[in-house]
Amino acid sequence: MSDQPDRYTCEEVFRRLDDYVDRELAEEETQMVRRHLDACAVCASEYAFEADVLDKLRGKLRRIDAPAGLLAKVSRAIERARSTPPEK
Amino acid sequence: MDGNLPRAATLESLLEPILASAYGVALRLARNRNDAEDLVQEAAFQACRGFHTFQPGTNFKAWFFRILTNCFYYRYRLKRREPETVDVEDAQELYLLLKATEHGLVDHGADPASKVLDKLGEEHVAAAIGALPAEFRVACALYFMEDLKYDEIASILECPVGTVRSRLHRGRRLLQKALWQVAFERGVAVPQGTEQP
Repeated sequence: MSDQPDRYTCEEVFRRLDDYVDRELAEEETQMVRRHLDACAVCASEYAFEADVLDKLRGKLRRIDAPAGLLAKVSRAIERARSTPPEK
Repeated sequence: MDGNLPRAATLESLLEPILASAYGVALRLARNRNDAEDLVQEAAFQACRGFHTFQPGTNFKAWFFRILTNCFYYRYRLKRREPETVDVEDAQELYLLLKATEHGLVDHGADPASKVLDKLGEEHVAAAIGALPAEFRVACALYFMEDLKYDEIASILECPVGTVRSRLHRGRRLLQKALWQVAFERGVAVPQGTEQP
């Protein structure tokens, strides 16, 4: 248990860091983590680094242009499905 | 007139706005553009076949992504078993932070990971996610390409939320390890003091 009832310890925060970054914690847990991060520079820097890594990876991975002819190909696939009898 | 026509036209109208997203996820799964296009087309084919099971008013994107990931798994099993290029057992938490700290590459400003990641191209990150074992790659592709909550990913993959959480957390650690290896091999991460001016 945490020594201070309104916030987690470093270890308790560490265990929840991934979920906190993903905003997957319940509101009460979120507040407990946030209060710890406000007071602990080491955990705050770990959180900032992890959040920045995920932001940067999202940014790089989402740089995609779908091929211009994809919609036409998909339409043809749908037409094919409609004209092909289902397999028994 | 074919009785299925209006239904099929509706499928196309539902698919069009999510096609770019579907292709993005497919590209991260299939790892190359041709296979990604094939995957989306196969998913569209199967979606048409199973369109009668789609409940109007529910989340079409999640429904289609479920078909897309199922198509990926089907194709994946048809092909040779891919060698796992990442050591699943050997990826500690905060891997990138620990390595970056060790090499003096943590920026203490607003973008702490910039010294490691800004020099890596999209192709390096894509290759790292593409090297993940399939189950991690699928969870991470949905996570990184779409703003989905764990329960939404679980719904797409038809597995418990805890399984998604585990695959994502572990997958991200594996990804960080792979990225560090790429960074190091490409000379992005040069030990402090040996960097060229």
